Amino acid sequence: MSGAHQHIGRPVPPRHHDRLVRGHGRFLADLRAAGVLYATLVRSPLAHARIVGFDASAARSDPRCALVLGPDDLAERTAPIPTAWRLPGQPEDRIPIAAHTARYAGQPLGIVVADTPTAAEDLAEAVRLDLDPLPPAATLADALAEHAPPIVPGAAGNEAGSIRLGSPEEDVAAAFARAELVVEREFTLPRVNPSPLEPRGVLAEYDPGTGLLTVHAGSQSPHSMRQDLCAVLGMRADRVRVIAPDIGGSFGSKVVLYPDEAMVCAAAVALGAAVRWVESRAENFDGAYQGRGQRTTARLAVGHEGRFLAFDAHILADLGAYATQAGSGPHQVTALTLQGPYHVDAAAATVTGVYTTRVPTGAYRGYGMQEAAFIRERLIEEAARELDVPALELRLRNLIRPEELPHTTHTGLTYDSGDYGAALRRAATLAERPPPSDPPWVRRGTAVVAAVEITAFAPSALLETFGIAWSGWEGVRLRINHDGTVTAYSGVIAVGQGIETSLAQIAAEGLGVPLDWVRVELGDTDTAPHSDLSAQASRALTLAGGALLIAARRLADRMRTLAAGFLGTDPDRVTQRIGSRADPSSPDAAFHGTDGARITWREVAHRGYRGWGNRKDTDRIRLEEAVDFDPPQITFAHGAHAAEVTVDVGTGRVTVTGYWAVHDSGVLVNPLIAHGQIAGGIAQGLGQALSEEARADAEGVPVTRSFREYAVPAAQDVPEDLVIEHTCTPSTAIPGGFKGLGEGGTLLPPAAVTCAVAAAVPEIAHTLTSLPLTPSRVRAALRAAGITAEGGLR
Amino acid sequence: MSVRTVTVRVNGVVRTEDAWDHTTLAEHLRTGLRLTGTHVGCGTGDCGACVVLLDGEPVCSCLVLAVQADGREISTVEGVAGGGDLTRAQRALIEEHGLQCGFCTPGLVVRMAHAAGRGGSEADVLAGHLCRCTGYDGIRAALRKLSGGSGGDR
Repeated sequence: MSGAHQHIGRPVPPRHHDRLVRGHGRFLADLRAAGVLYATLVRSPLAHARIVGFDASAARSDPRCALVLGPDDLAERTAPIPTAWRLPGQPEDRIPIAAHTARYAGQPLGIVVADTPTAAEDLAEAVRLDLDPLPPAATLADALAEHAPPIVPGAAGNEAGSIRLGSPEEDVAAAFARAELVVEREFTLPRVNPSPLEPRGVLAEYDPGTGLLTVHAGSQSPHSMRQDLCAVLGMRADRVRVIAPDIGGSFGSKVVLYPDEAMVCAAAVALGAAVRWVESRAENFDGAYQGRGQRTTARLAVGHEGRFLAFDAHILADLGAYATQAGSGPHQVTALTLQGPYHVDAAAATVTGVYTTRVPTGAYRGYGMQEAAFIRERLIEEAARELDVPALELRLRNLIRPEELPHTTHTGLTYDSGDYGAALRRAATLAERPPPSDPPWVRRGTAVVAAVEITAFAPSALLETFGIAWSGWEGVRLRINHDGTVTAYSGVIAVGQGIETSLAQIAAEGLGVPLDWVRVELGDTDTAPHSDLSAQASRALTLAGGALLIAARRLADRMRTLAAGFLGTDPDRVTQRIGSRADPSSPDAAFHGTDGARITWREVAHRGYRGWGNRKDTDRIRLEEAVDFDPPQITFAHGAHAAEVTVDVGTGRVTVTGYWAVHDSGVLVNPLIAHGQIAGGIAQGLGQALSEEARADAEGVPVTRSFREYAVPAAQDVPEDLVIEHTCTPSTAIPGGFKGLGEGGTLLPPAAVTCAVAAAVPEIAHTLTSLPLTPSRVRAALRAAGITAEGGLR
Repeated sequence: MSVRTVTVRVNGVVRTEDAWDHTTLAEHLRTGLRLTGTHVGCGTGDCGACVVLLDGEPVCSCLVLAVQADGREISTVEGVAGGGDLTRAQRALIEEHGLQCGFCTPGLVVRMAHAAGRGGSEADVLAGHLCRCTGYDGIRAALRKLSGGSGGDR
């Protein structure tokens, strides 16, 4: 008996768009702050060096200088950042802020604060660093070499610990012993830069009078940033407030507190002032945590009639100079998700973390699942080629069928619902089209690949089992105000994905009210419910949305009960009728009794706030519900992607000529937003497939430091006619049936494109194990196989 | 380094402010004139977030010095609709979800305003603009809508 609104499932344009197209966004650099000072970080130019001296006397004597903090000052003022997810045997469980050894080029060693940005830059350059160079170890091979320099002081070598996940050894061995075919390859997934268009930034203000530190930061997770700041600065949680303004993209690169951000906050505390730091693009390339960075040896055992028997992998994870808060987390997720949507008798993977003298790696959209999909789908494609059976047929033969769900994988993940075959077949059908006639130097190929996706990484007990020092639950507060309007508070963050709109749709649906009555308030640790993981891991909509749906239904019931009291009847004899354009006080926004009596929504809210009505002492008064939702399990989305590519065998250039994606994220709250998330994810995945690689020189110093050296996809790099479809298998774990989709689009493009190139040029298929497929890399493989534009074929 | 007085007509209003001779036009607009709609995404002219019209022609304002704009006319994203009705291009971007985080959007809005009625191709408009969120899909749908197409399949 709620209102007749249907907000869930409507493609409503996101509500933040209007102000953004007008230029009225409020990003970090846009915020006004009276008397603000400006910070520049002093960064190491060398990849590995002992810091002998940090002489800031020239900078300090300049009248424009407000403060310089060098390594010794930072050691006095900060504690290291705690980590949350570690490998067994990891030799270092804290992230140093005060460094006496530089472990990567770009590492912040100190901070300079001055009255203008230019002065801060000038004075940072005036700091004289005395560095005693140490040998770099910029690659996995260098770091693991016999006489490699130890990167973590006091550690025995550069291994950062190891873990084996999945089936018992004997099961893996037995499965490989039964195999009729074993395909083994070594895969390299290079480091990439998440590259949000807005770099990182912090505006920290310390008020010595109240002892309050207020931090505005482009953070995907303000609550966890606050917790880490408390640990670093030795401050109480009630004295630290973190607020996320508009955020210009994040993609995982803004989920944790960085040492440079902590230095800005330490400077604000030291000065009792407001200090702003806005990262430059080059700093973002050098210093923002990178994604991927993995070299993996993996094998697939295939038995009789093409049945998959086992996956096994050894993942060497390039953690960089130190393990971040989540450290090897992405690589452990690769191990957890290697099995994908297929039946096997055994699946296991070892993750070995390795320190290198490069910037640390961390979360990036796809978080280990993309790597798993690439490894798995390439192995399958290679098996199909060796068996001479169509790859699609081989995949379909081994897929987990919908009637077999729930299904628990060998790494203990329980897939709740889905129809993997339907998505795969649909993507294959979409990609079927008559091949155009290509010139002789052009080869064309198509491939279809599949993945299952962890969304809503929870419950908290699961994180506890993994030893991850974070929670997975999500809380909301939903309030009907005295005038009948509605305010929802959540700990998830808007990073451009449109979550404030989707959450408003869910609240409006549960309450049965028009969408524009609902405001969603996010991003301020003083008002938002606690959230450790917030807007990451494809969880915001599922977990906050699930909680909000519960809260909205409870409040709707309370409103009807209140209305019944005022109307002198029973709640189940009351009907809520609210016009789609009504405001809360209009006659067409009312509760109706059976006798023609009615009371407006606003009046019910208003009287409710007065505590009027036939109220029992035990009844709650405030029209507000707080709901904490910790789901019973992870909910699994899934998808299949098809790519058609052409390969110019003269130049080695790969062009994606068609791309089709079929996703299942359960019940879609906003199909327009869902489409946008998948499309954007595909583009990022295509960038990784074809062009993106964060490179360093032989000394370990980054050489990709602008959008010229590091090619994120431009418009011409993404097919004009992306086809994206959704099937709907509702989640059985989440109220509303929602599943996540923030990362789904990113998971499959590298696998789809690479398998399509393999189909186009089978002669080089076995070599297609490293990304990105740049023209020079593909051309080298073609030449090695004797394929040229002139010769066509060998 | 010296300070000079820079007078520009920005979005139809004459503004006179001091600027260092090394200050970029983007920073002058943002800091000196408090027009923070123009965003700096790279500072090297690669991303296009800072595009404004200088005497009617699109430029990356991170590559122009404030002093070079002295005596000239500038249009920024704030001036495209002013406080009033959105343009067709802005409405199309909203309706087709042609933005997500919106950081790159100001430059694109200015570029689309410049392209309106000039008949340039989709590729012409998108050249020089990086968007990391949308995969250009919603932007293309908006451009198709503007050129009379349906706006796409969504």
